[in-house]
Amino acid sequence: MSDVTLTIDGVQVTVPAGTNIVDAARQAGIAIPVFCYHPRLKPVGMCRMCLVQVGTPKVDPATRQPVLDANGQPVIAMMPKLQTACTTPVSPGMVVKTTTEEVRFAQRGILEFLLTSHPLDCPVCDKGGECPLQNLTMGWGPAVSRFDYNDKVHFEKPVKLGDLIYLDRERCILCGRCVRFQDEIADDPVLGFDNRGRNWMIISKSDPPFNSKFSGNTTDICPVGALTSSDFRFKARVWELQSKPVVCTLCPVGCNLTLDMRHDRLMRVMPRENAAVNDIWICDKGRYGHRFIEAPDRLTTPLVRRNGKLVPVSWDEALEVVADQLTLIRARHGGQALAGLAGPQLSNEDLYLFQKLLRELGSENIDTGIGGPAALPPDEIGGWLAPGPNTDLSKLGSGTVVLVIGADPEEEAPLYMLRLRGIAQRGGKLVVAGLRPTKLERSATQVVRYRPEGELAFVQGLLKAALEHSSRTATLERLAGWKELRAALERVSLNNLATACGLTVDGLNQLAKDFLTASQSLIVYGWEARSAGPALTEALAALMLLSGRTGTANNGIIALLPGGNSRGAIEMGVRPDAGPGYTPRKQRGLDANGIWDAAREGKVRAIWLAGVDPAAKLPVARAALEAAEFVIVQDLFLTASAEYADVVLPTASVAEREGTYTNAERRVQRSRQACAPVGESRPDWQIVAAVAQALAMVPIGGGRNGPIPVTTEAWSYMVAADVGNEIAAQVPGYAGITYAALAATGTGGSWGRQFDDAIYYDGTSYTNTEGVGLVLPALASKGTVNLTFTGKVTRFADERPMLLLEQVLAYDGDRHLRGSKLQSLIPRGYAAISADDAAKLNIHSGDRVRLISAAGEMVIPARVLADVPNGIILLPAGLADVMAAEIETGPRTRVNLAKVVTE
Amino acid sequence: MIRELVKGLGTTLRYMFKRPVTVQYPEVKRPVRERFRGRHELKRFANGQERCIGCALCAAACPADAILVIPAENDPANPRSPGERYAAVYEINMLRCIFCGYCEDACPTNAIVLEHQYELSFYDRRAAIYTKEMLLVPPDKGHGEPPPILQQLNRQPSPPAKIDL
Repeated sequence: MSDVTLTIDGVQVTVPAGTNIVDAARQAGIAIPVFCYHPRLKPVGMCRMCLVQVGTPKVDPATRQPVLDANGQPVIAMMPKLQTACTTPVSPGMVVKTTTEEVRFAQRGILEFLLTSHPLDCPVCDKGGECPLQNLTMGWGPAVSRFDYNDKVHFEKPVKLGDLIYLDRERCILCGRCVRFQDEIADDPVLGFDNRGRNWMIISKSDPPFNSKFSGNTTDICPVGALTSSDFRFKARVWELQSKPVVCTLCPVGCNLTLDMRHDRLMRVMPRENAAVNDIWICDKGRYGHRFIEAPDRLTTPLVRRNGKLVPVSWDEALEVVADQLTLIRARHGGQALAGLAGPQLSNEDLYLFQKLLRELGSENIDTGIGGPAALPPDEIGGWLAPGPNTDLSKLGSGTVVLVIGADPEEEAPLYMLRLRGIAQRGGKLVVAGLRPTKLERSATQVVRYRPEGELAFVQGLLKAALEHSSRTATLERLAGWKELRAALERVSLNNLATACGLTVDGLNQLAKDFLTASQSLIVYGWEARSAGPALTEALAALMLLSGRTGTANNGIIALLPGGNSRGAIEMGVRPDAGPGYTPRKQRGLDANGIWDAAREGKVRAIWLAGVDPAAKLPVARAALEAAEFVIVQDLFLTASAEYADVVLPTASVAEREGTYTNAERRVQRSRQACAPVGESRPDWQIVAAVAQALAMVPIGGGRNGPIPVTTEAWSYMVAADVGNEIAAQVPGYAGITYAALAATGTGGSWGRQFDDAIYYDGTSYTNTEGVGLVLPALASKGTVNLTFTGKVTRFADERPMLLLEQVLAYDGDRHLRGSKLQSLIPRGYAAISADDAAKLNIHSGDRVRLISAAGEMVIPARVLADVPNGIILLPAGLADVMAAEIETGPRTRVNLAKVVTE
Repeated sequence: MIRELVKGLGTTLRYMFKRPVTVQYPEVKRPVRERFRGRHELKRFANGQERCIGCALCAAACPADAILVIPAENDPANPRSPGERYAAVYEINMLRCIFCGYCEDACPTNAIVLEHQYELSFYDRRAAIYTKEMLLVPPDKGHGEPPPILQQLNRQPSPPAKIDL
């Protein structure tokens, strides 16, 4: 768009056409006060605070030429009335006056009116201190009010809008920022206005009230203390808080957070601006789900089992026991008798050292997660084909094609829903394909809904169509299995594939063509797509490679994996088949399920669990841990697995340590320490290093497996940055990703705390001083893609009428959610079925149903949901009371559904 | 020589018949001025409710960082103070306090008042931290009027809406 030059208070400023006067003035360094306007929302001009005088060059109606005065300057025709600066776009030659007496008079009047109904209870208000109404009243308001103080309208306070947000109606100035945020950005239009006149108020229209995963953001953008967070209610005054930058580890988005601490205690969690990741928003899981760091049942000392009981001991004692036992077992049974599982929320440093130690001890039995029937092999595609450096989803719009397949971003990675919706809103093409409706579909430009049997057909159809439009197969030709895949594609006709997935041949062709010819193309897939088997994601990888843009900025595949640092775990080599940076190992170790089997057979004798709790979910793991000779549990809490532990080591939470995390886009971000570790807990990397040091000190008793190869010198890391430097030096792809480099990556966007931000954007104006993170150089860009097309699809143990799919929920049984306000939002276990299926069996919501598979059966309450397709049962396996492993035969399971009839 | 001695003793003799300017502290205590700033008290309203609403403005105003306030939410059925908020923890470190009275100025409800007690001595530093229990006046000592000093200055603190001073 062309630029427009205008004059604001005598300052000439050139801005893109279409900019409104408020933003233009901001660029000129002039503050126009606003309440209802927010740069991320559409202007509405509701509050009238931004009134300014506007004039445009006078045009001669006859000649259509500007009228010039005696000096040759254009004559400015001022508009007869004040204009709202937020809704008035700039025009060439426009003259704006923001400081004239007329404007001042209007501003004073608006503030005087706003304050007539405002209770002025600033001393008890949580917004006090970062309140735009306070700031604007000080800056622009009248000193006195002509209205009677006792004539204010009072409402009963507070109104609970759900469990997370409180509404104080008498403080509300009815700017509608919250309503517009929910409508425009969150796509949860659950708030609205009610009544009129002095009883005009905000209400929640949903049941349960304020049913949105992004509700906390409304408290940030609320310009008064009308919407406050239940999590921070009367906890502290905002000026008493110390802001500490951390990275959220609850999902693979890696949102930048600010932990606001007081006296080393967490008061509240706020977003930290990072345009490329979370902009200025965070989801409620990130905002409210960090109370686990102050849970009273956190482990504080190491525990060692003595006479069947776990007793507190010192670190030295615990480490000695660990070192002795590991040495003994290794000497007797070899390194392969050791195994380790790490959780996907640990930092890169933890994960790197974890696998390094186990591999030095001669064990390749390393995996992320807990295994179980639904476990999938590590996702390589999202790593090899991740978007390249400088990826910034907030910049994408027109010219972008995003293919979301088998993912529910709102539940799996909530902030991605906002980012993807934003792309569609800015004119990008958002294709959402899946077995069932998701919330993202509402924002999609095209929705593809297929039956389970049509899912692979859709992707293969796209690939086949793309092959006709693209000749960029050079990279693909080098990959193992490509010839077979291509041959298989040639055997089926596009027509058959189109029919199978419910699209037309033209539709598939058009979509493939759009994808290939777009200036940016992204593929996002989640659990549903991965559970179909590798064939589906491999075809997506081939499609991405055909675009020829893999590895460049904003082009690539984003895989939504469970856990905050799941990508980091794969890249750090916490997997049985490859070391750090996707380098294949000569000898393949056991994956989690292999470890459980081997432990029961006595082949694996020592199991080290770092941040995972398999015993809570897997009967097979309980048996394996029971059988194992030596179990180390390294966790925040005394988990179910700790029942089987010989040594329990307390770890520091994400807030109590430094670390780097790699998100789903392969963006490495640095998290800082916000408070002192609880008790004697230590960061995981320190524990691993301490174990290594202890191992090096064990007197060598010989044995057939030789001395422990660990040396004290090699394991002397002082700070997390030492490990970070080793990762930068050792892990392929991480070169240059040092702590210093991460800290020097800018302030994360246009927001920041600029000259006048304190005045009207308080609460959200958190400057990101800690760097925005670096997207790793794409592995694919060097042409080194090393993928294998296996063509495997998920097989079923037997054929039964219903398809059981795991459903990922944001609010699930994650032990990190304990103690948070989200507890009441975590549902009890259920199996969701469609209305038709329910009607056939006369099942109503709440009835108990029996699910029978080849592996077993389970009785669970049913939930009849309109958006579940017929023939599919959704089982939220993450919930604490859903033991999905009892019936699952694989990532997907065929089951019989029956109603439990009680007499 | 003698003259000087007589002159000096004369002064002594003269003052023997004047009222002494010293008092026999601690047996006798000199009254302090109305606006004397001594040990703080947290006041109550006539109905026994605490005036302090836990807003922590006193702590913000304190130049010596002597005040710690940790607020909490009132139980609506049995509120300790008017409104939604009260001070769960209120501590003043008397060793840090410089008795400037800024806390009194900042208080929107006239809850904290520097009273006339000035005998503050401690055997250890911990004892110098006065807790809310020590600072709060007994329930029957509540009153509804603002303290005289504020009346005298005709200051109208901006109170929370629900609080009737």
